[in-house]
Amino acid sequence: RLATFGGTHQVPRVPQTPRSPQTTALRRFSSTSAQENLDVPPPSEDKIHLTESCVKRLEEILERGEYLRIHVEGGGCSGFQYKFSVVDDKTNEDRVFEKRGVSVIVDPDSLEFVKGATVDYTNELIRSSFQVLRNPQADHGCSCGSSFSIKL
Amino acid sequence: VSKRKIVATRAALTLTPSAVNRIRLLLEDRPEYIGLKVGVKTRGCNGLTYTLDYTKEKHKSDEEVLQDGVRVFIEKKAQLTLLGTEMDFVETKLTSEFIFNNPNIKGTCGCGESFSV
Repeated sequence: RLATFGGTHQVPRVPQTPRSPQTTALRRFSSTSAQENLDVPPPSEDKIHLTESCVKRLEEILERGEYLRIHVEGGGCSGFQYKFSVVDDKTNEDRVFEKRGVSVIVDPDSLEFVKGATVDYTNELIRSSFQVLRNPQADHGCSCGSSFSIKL
Repeated sequence: VSKRKIVATRAALTLTPSAVNRIRLLLEDRPEYIGLKVGVKTRGCNGLTYTLDYTKEKHKSDEEVLQDGVRVFIEKKAQLTLLGTEMDFVETKLTSEFIFNNPNIKGTCGCGESFSV
C-alpha cells in the first residue's frame, strides 16, 4: 500500500533505554564467551522460530505443496517491511523452516533481515494476522509491527 | 409555510454485511456482552489508531449504532473522527481484520493501521 504522510506524521523515536547498549555489549561477549545465555538465541543463528499459534494457523490454511513465504522489502514508515504470502514456487535458494509438516520459506536476502526472529499468528478482536516478533535485526518499528528499521 | 429545516443526517458508522456477520458471530458466543465498542487512541506513526473491544454497557456519551440486529458503540472521543465511516470485515488466509473506510482521513501509514485526520 502506498504510504502518504500527512502533516502530523511523527518520526518514530528510538526509545533510549539503557538496555540497548548493554545488550549490544552482551552480544559481543556472547560470541567469544562460552557461557552463553540460553534464553536468547545467539545473533549469528540464522533460524526462524515459529510459535504454536503460527503453526496451528498454517495447518489450517496451507494446502499440500504450499508454503508461507516471508519477504522483506523496502517500504513502510520505518524503512523496511515484512510481506507474507502463501506460495507454491519454492526455489533451491530458499531456506525452509519446517514444524509439524508446515513450512515457512525465506529467500537468502530476506533471511539476513529476519534471522533469529519469531513468526507468530496473533489473534485479536480487531485483527488476526501473521507477525514477525522479536527480530534481533530490527531496531525499532512501527506500532503495527509490519515495518521496521535495522540495527547498524 | 413551515420554517422547519430538514437537516441531512448520516449514520455515524455503517457496517458492511460481512462486518455484521462477523460481529454477530463474535457476540453469539459471548452473551454477557451487548456489543462492540469502537474507539481511537494516539498510537502509530501517523497519529491515531482504531481500538475495538467488547462492551457490557452503553456509556452515557457513547453513540449507539444499531444495524441489522448488532450494536456498535462509538466512544465520544472517536465520534468526530469516525463520522461517515464504513466498517468492513475482510478475511484472507493471511489476515482477518476489521477495516475502517474513513472519509475524514488525510494520511495513513503503509500498514493501514495508523492514520491522521
